[in-house]
Amino acid sequence: MTAPRSGAATVLVMVIATAPQISAQTSAPTAAFADDVHASAGLTCGACHMRQAAGSYTAPPRNAIAPLCATCHSDAAYMRRFAPQVRIDQFLQYQTSTHGRRMAGGETAVATCNDCHGAHGVRRVADARSPVAPLNVTTTCARCHGDAAHMKPFGRTAAAPADWGASVHATALLQRGDTSAPTCAACHGSHGATPPGITSVANVCAQCHVREAELFRASPKKEIFEAIGQAECLVCHTNHRIEPPSDHWIGVADGAVCEQCHDAAGESAKAIGAIRAALDGLSAEIAAADAALGAVERAGMPVDEGRLALRTAREQQVQARVLVHTFALQPPGEAAAKGTAAARQALAAGQAAARELQIRRTGLGVATLLIIGFLITLWLKIRRLPDLPS
Amino acid sequence: MGGQLRAWLDERLALGEVIEALHHKTVPHHRYSIWYYFGGTTLFLFAVQVVTGGLLLLYYRPSAGEAYESVQFIVTRVPFGWLVRSVHAWAANLMVASVVAHLFSVLFLHAYRRPRELTWVSGMLLLFLTLAFGFTGYLLPWNEVSFFATRVGTDLAAAVPIVGGSVVRFLRGGDDVSGATLTRLFGFHVALLPATATGLVLLHLLLVQRHGMSVPPSIEHRATVERGTVRAMPFIPHFLLRDLFAWTIVLAALAALSTFYPWELGAKADPFAPAPAGIRPEWYFLWAFELLKHVPPVIAGVNGELVAVLLLGAGGVGAVVLPFLAGHTARTRRAVVWAGAAALAFITLMTGLALSAVAP
Repeated sequence: MTAPRSGAATVLVMVIATAPQISAQTSAPTAAFADDVHASAGLTCGACHMRQAAGSYTAPPRNAIAPLCATCHSDAAYMRRFAPQVRIDQFLQYQTSTHGRRMAGGETAVATCNDCHGAHGVRRVADARSPVAPLNVTTTCARCHGDAAHMKPFGRTAAAPADWGASVHATALLQRGDTSAPTCAACHGSHGATPPGITSVANVCAQCHVREAELFRASPKKEIFEAIGQAECLVCHTNHRIEPPSDHWIGVADGAVCEQCHDAAGESAKAIGAIRAALDGLSAEIAAADAALGAVERAGMPVDEGRLALRTAREQQVQARVLVHTFALQPPGEAAAKGTAAARQALAAGQAAARELQIRRTGLGVATLLIIGFLITLWLKIRRLPDLPS
Repeated sequence: MGGQLRAWLDERLALGEVIEALHHKTVPHHRYSIWYYFGGTTLFLFAVQVVTGGLLLLYYRPSAGEAYESVQFIVTRVPFGWLVRSVHAWAANLMVASVVAHLFSVLFLHAYRRPRELTWVSGMLLLFLTLAFGFTGYLLPWNEVSFFATRVGTDLAAAVPIVGGSVVRFLRGGDDVSGATLTRLFGFHVALLPATATGLVLLHLLLVQRHGMSVPPSIEHRATVERGTVRAMPFIPHFLLRDLFAWTIVLAALAALSTFYPWELGAKADPFAPAPAGIRPEWYFLWAFELLKHVPPVIAGVNGELVAVLLLGAGGVGAVVLPFLAGHTARTRRAVVWAGAAALAFITLMTGLALSAVAP
């Protein structure tokens, strides 16, 4: 078993592993092109290397690549021949992106089409070997955005890929293989990649976290955060390094996220403490019930009803944690109370099964004593039987 | 009152003659006599199965939609339902072990010799029926493991030439294991097999009564040389009390196993779910299961699985007709002992391999 890698190490390993694939496309273009989506569509070198003599092709200038790709990819009539529903807005989006705007301003060290898709070995996004397939796209972005020397002239740090590598989203994608987990493009966009502004961050998160976003928008926090210019979700969850949420975040002590704005003296501290107490109480009840059910299950006792109640308790626990986004005491408190009742029901089922188990074992003990008594009597009777004739 | 009832019954059923005959019945007594008790133990376990099976029938529902839930109800809601189900499951396993021990003891002590050929044949058929009881009963809880094990088990019949496909469809009631399979295996388990087994048990007991217990040739020879006769003990009370002693120990073992290791129910079968890892048949079929895993795909140009199934079938038929094949000389008896020992060693080895393959 290997030790888990840190976020930075994960992304570094991915970059090292995939970088040779893209450089090989430019050092051996003919070989790479054989497996290219354009080649399979019947296009040849001259389709991109226009007005160049065969055999003496040169790479187009970097600021000419996107317009070159757009000659086909922005032409709806042409692209329809290969895929009737294919999108044709990539170049328009690119022009609105940070990459596109800087490129238009003369900065050619920013990304253009071939930096992400490759030059001569371009594959469909749905192809798992593509550099922009869900499992590879963060690696592709990290080739520049994880390179401190590359990012320094732009006044940006190179921490984002490593931070993402330590996030709950990276865990979902890389460890559980959940390809619906968000990567760079899910929040920043792909061709129109740009950092979401403070006012639109909540909309980005709400693409997936619908319920939490609804609760937050209806809460008093929304207006307050807008008034003080805080980026809503990011205040508690941060941006790239989004760690698994914990009940310990709720509180006014060191390490809690509420502590950033609330001190221990105010009325709000009492409400925060009450929410935390409700969640902690529910967690303790669930743990106790789980232990009780596990103990009797190991002894072979069926406790399906207890397990069902415990599942209800866990569902209420999830509900209560989501309802924390109302920033009010009552909603999470009510869910926690329902969960606690269900957990106690599960605990009672476990305790009843434990009593039943004890009764069974006591019954077995009594029965065994009676059987032993019967066997002794039988043995004495056999011993007293007349001897067999020799 | 008791005397009047006994006289009334005796006048109509002539029970007195039977009891009188039992009082005069004797059982050989020698250093191998302990093996005689396995027959009685198997009969006791069969009786336990009849009683507990009858009790389970009060609540069990033989359909894909209700079977699992009804067993769940038995073990969680019915008073002592857990005990009855566990005793039924454990007694089934102990019965297989007991009947196998009985078979090999009869084989090694040469009790199949003339005139007991039919006793042996009826005993072999009872062994097959016991295994059939195990196979048909395994699916009845309709849980995940039993569902997929039954699918694998019934698949084996497909290797039989010509009729294999038809046999599989007959066992399953269709192309795959389904509610129809459950219904017909239930029918076999609670009607056809018990009726056949009861008839065969009565025949077996009648033959044992008719010919008496067999005495091993070595004991018989020594006794003839030394004393002229084999020592014997009265059936009543000497042998019967010892039998009762063995039954009581088995009963105590059943109670302890059922209390400390209640038979698991597992998850309900889902025909559309993928088969879970580690699917395997009951322990008494493991040796055949393991054998089929080691058979090469092709043997001498013929399908390897077919060859293995045919060899197993030939082995089974050979075992049934053994008394008619084995001669009466000391040399042929030694050959039978070696063949039996080899079969036992092979079965043990294959079972061990299968168990070690699935051990964590």
